[in-house]
Amino acid sequence: MESYLLANAESVVARARAGDPAALEELYRAFEVPVYNLSRRICRTAEDAEDVLQETFFEVCRSIGRYREEGSLWGWVRTIAASKALMRLRRNKYRDTDELQEEIVGHRREDAALRMDLEAALERLSETSRAVVWLHDVEGYTHEEIAGMMGKTPSFSKSQLARAHARLRRWLGEEVAP
Amino acid sequence: MTHLSMEALLGLREPGREPGDAAAREHVESCPACRAEMDRLDQRVARLRALPALRSTRDRWPLLAARVRDERRQRRLRTGGLAGLAAAASIALALGLGSARPIAAAGQQEIRQAMARSQALERALTQYDPEARVLDGRTAGIAQELEDRIARVDRELEMAELLGRETRDDRLLKLWRERVGLLDALVDVHVTRASNVGL
Repeated sequence: MESYLLANAESVVARARAGDPAALEELYRAFEVPVYNLSRRICRTAEDAEDVLQETFFEVCRSIGRYREEGSLWGWVRTIAASKALMRLRRNKYRDTDELQEEIVGHRREDAALRMDLEAALERLSETSRAVVWLHDVEGYTHEEIAGMMGKTPSFSKSQLARAHARLRRWLGEEVAP
Repeated sequence: MTHLSMEALLGLREPGREPGDAAAREHVESCPACRAEMDRLDQRVARLRALPALRSTRDRWPLLAARVRDERRQRRLRTGGLAGLAAAASIALALGLGSARPIAAAGQQEIRQAMARSQALERALTQYDPEARVLDGRTAGIAQELEDRIARVDRELEMAELLGRETRDDRLLKLWRERVGLLDALVDVHVTRASNVGL
């Protein structure tokens, strides 16, 4: 993805800024998979992730003139995508009900000593916890950056990450006897 | 023996050191259980990063491209629609509508001049047809910024029409002048740049 775009980034961005539809499509094709992947990992449904994908690139097309080329193009696109995905979570108000449900269902399933694969375990985390895990551990955002995007404190991000890892450890059957 | 919490273990993976890190690190070195926990944490993160990318099953580009085209068309219409706003303002000025205190003749004249100048610059831009031309990235960025600021002024002009009589005319004059300045700069960005590079 980036290896292709890096070689052409400057000219593609310049053409996109000038409104060249072909350049806008090149940007879309270069980043659609990582943007969708990030959105899908954060959002609950594929439909929500597709909406985030579309909103992200609509914003990219509108704002490409404001991209300052100070950081990487992917970093800029990714931050737009992450913000849109987190906005979608806030809008859908998943968090509160899911965490409660996770507590109830989680304990019941632990009793059954189910062992899951990583995909299933990740999917089972609450939206907020999964977003923090993905943004921190995979995308490499700091707790301060995540807190800024979520409108929370860095401590909130840290505790969400710790709780999520404790749960993943249990669900993956990685706990060791004391 | 007290082992480290998950939060403490995660803290050790952060690039910046926090108070207590040295003691925690020392503990991990000497405690096989915490060392194993740390290794599992590292492995779990590595496995997360190695998960295959999920892909959309639908191609969203055609829909998105249509939306982008539509948005651009709307923006052009918005800019063109200002001619109508100017005309309405002209009529209001001519009739002296809604003005509790009479606008000084010189003030009216200034607003009319600013509107006329704005319309002339709009026509110049339309004739130049910037959307059909290719700009370098920096110039296009400046043009985009100016267009955004013009759009903001346009919104403020619409709001100014709703202001109380006492403040409306002063505000209109200020905004029309600002609009002329921005349009002047925009024409300059397009035309000067084009003549420099012979486009």
